Amino acid sequence: MKVIYKVTDIVLLGFRSLTTHKVRSLLAILSILFGVWSVIAMLAINEGARYEAEQSLRQMGTDKFLIQSLKPPQDRGAAQQTGRALYYGLTRADHRRLSESLPGLLGEVAGHETRKFAQYGTRLVPVRVFGTDPSYLQLRGLRVAAGRFLSAADELRCRNVCVMTQSLARRLFGYEDPLISVVRLGGESFDVVGLVDTPGGSTPEVPADLVSNLVYVPASTERTRFGEYSILRTTGSFEAERVEVSQIIFHMADERAVLAGAKIAESILQREHESPDYEINVPLDKILQLQRQRRLWNIMFFAIASISLLVGAIGIANIMLASVTERTREIGIRRALGAKRRDITVQFLVEAVTLTTGGGLMGIVLGFVVPPIVQAVLKVTAILSPPMLMVPFLMAVAVGLVSGLYPAMRAARLDPITALRHE
Amino acid sequence: MKELVRLEHVHKMYPMGRSTVHALNDVSFVVREGEYVAVMGPSGSGKSTLLNLLGCLDRPSSGRYVLGGRDVSQLDDPALSEIRGQHVGFVFQSFNLISQLTVLANIEVPLFYQGLPRRERHPRSRELAGQVGLGNRLDHRPAELSGGQQQRVAIARALANDPLLLLADEPTGNLDSRTSMEILDLLDELSRRARTIIMVTHEDHVAGRAHRIIQMRDGQIHSDIDRQRPEPSG
Repeated sequence: MKVIYKVTDIVLLGFRSLTTHKVRSLLAILSILFGVWSVIAMLAINEGARYEAEQSLRQMGTDKFLIQSLKPPQDRGAAQQTGRALYYGLTRADHRRLSESLPGLLGEVAGHETRKFAQYGTRLVPVRVFGTDPSYLQLRGLRVAAGRFLSAADELRCRNVCVMTQSLARRLFGYEDPLISVVRLGGESFDVVGLVDTPGGSTPEVPADLVSNLVYVPASTERTRFGEYSILRTTGSFEAERVEVSQIIFHMADERAVLAGAKIAESILQREHESPDYEINVPLDKILQLQRQRRLWNIMFFAIASISLLVGAIGIANIMLASVTERTREIGIRRALGAKRRDITVQFLVEAVTLTTGGGLMGIVLGFVVPPIVQAVLKVTAILSPPMLMVPFLMAVAVGLVSGLYPAMRAARLDPITALRHE
Repeated sequence: MKELVRLEHVHKMYPMGRSTVHALNDVSFVVREGEYVAVMGPSGSGKSTLLNLLGCLDRPSSGRYVLGGRDVSQLDDPALSEIRGQHVGFVFQSFNLISQLTVLANIEVPLFYQGLPRRERHPRSRELAGQVGLGNRLDHRPAELSGGQQQRVAIARALANDPLLLLADEPTGNLDSRTSMEILDLLDELSRRARTIIMVTHEDHVAGRAHRIIQMRDGQIHSDIDRQRPEPSG
């Protein structure tokens, strides 16, 4: 009981002596405040960057993985010289084999892509025509912005209908309503039945201007109207390619099945394909990789921001040392009147910790304005989370303990007789 | 009367550069409860060292110091702090009040380190302030008080823990003669109420208030005169 009284009193004493040097205390608090603030800002910006990167990967879902046909780079020159069709990529046999052998497979959908020109009135836009099944919508994580996606009936009847990305529709139709319009694709007329958002995630080997120029048509329609060949005409040369399947998405039971499935698919495809003309794309894997990378970044950011806290800590130690020297006589008096060394240590430690904790708390309060400011000025996402606030706060408390310890011990070690004589 | 202070062959040496200073050289005496002792002597005679030892601010290099029946000559720092806090009251020449604290808070400092709760400290320090005639100045800071008033606060503070031993180091050294008188009257009053006082001074008229005068010279007791008994003739 006695001890509790004493401790609370010494803590109050520490508070009180801070208020006698208001400006000095305020400056000390500021130095910690900015340290804490910069740590929070760094963490929040980094967290925001991580979130943004993950978001686009998550759109497809962490329970899926995707295999895409990829033009083998070493064959490019040869294909151009001979002028004969380049045959590469996934085959329907691959698709079948993979569908039968992957454990934990919930569903899968394939698609075939050809490059065409979309024409509306006088406007001509290069597009990627993607023939696929209705289930692609859900498996690819697409969002329907207007109208509908492809239906089973479209597929069954080989209908000339299409769904396109909003950005493509804007380029083709301008201010006209795309949903009542007919667009010509490679010589065929197609009714536009729906619009979707541009899908996120990686699209290898697609020129930047084609990324969002996507038209979805029923797989049956695509196969019968366009076939498996795509002919790319460029000035002075022409190039023909044959790909059976452009893309397969596998929907797995859980994340473990995703990682295992991707490995199995890899080994199966390696056996069947001589050259690496496919790419296995595992969003989950990328997210994990990203998280590892971010952790490294976090440590680095954190270290940099910690330097500003360190500067603050040195400031606090300096102020506390000055305070100890200035109050040598007071220390002597207190010692003569019965204060133990421990009492003196605690008194000065409390002062230091109070300063830094005060700075830490204010830094956290200021930290809340980091996301809006960063978003407005730097146009990047910044995210604050409670553990992120706890870290710099605890650091501030620790800084107080560490930077206050040496001055406090120096105060406690003073010889009372010498201290009493100090002018 | 009961024996309160017993020094037996106490030596105190300080290193000073290469040589050692023999500040106390075989000092032995006894102080009984209720005595009022003045320690006199030129500067460097060891009287300050003696006072520091008596106040448990320091330890003897050799010899024994028994305070209130307890040998304190070899105690460690926390134990000595404890004894200072519980059994010793200090009055200094330069008052040594803590400038940021009010009169009341200054008087409370020893109680504070005893771990006395606030609600017990307040009435006690109020009462003490009243006893030294400062009941109406409780919330003043030391800088707002005269020297005499500051020394009264210091005396009140020295009494806060109801010490066995009140030690005064030139208590009137910084005061004019009129206030000196008041302070000495206050000490007389305390002595009448059976408080044991040991006071260091170099002024004869101050020492004259005490019942017993110890003269120090070169770290040794030169004379020890008890004025309450008839002085030895010759």
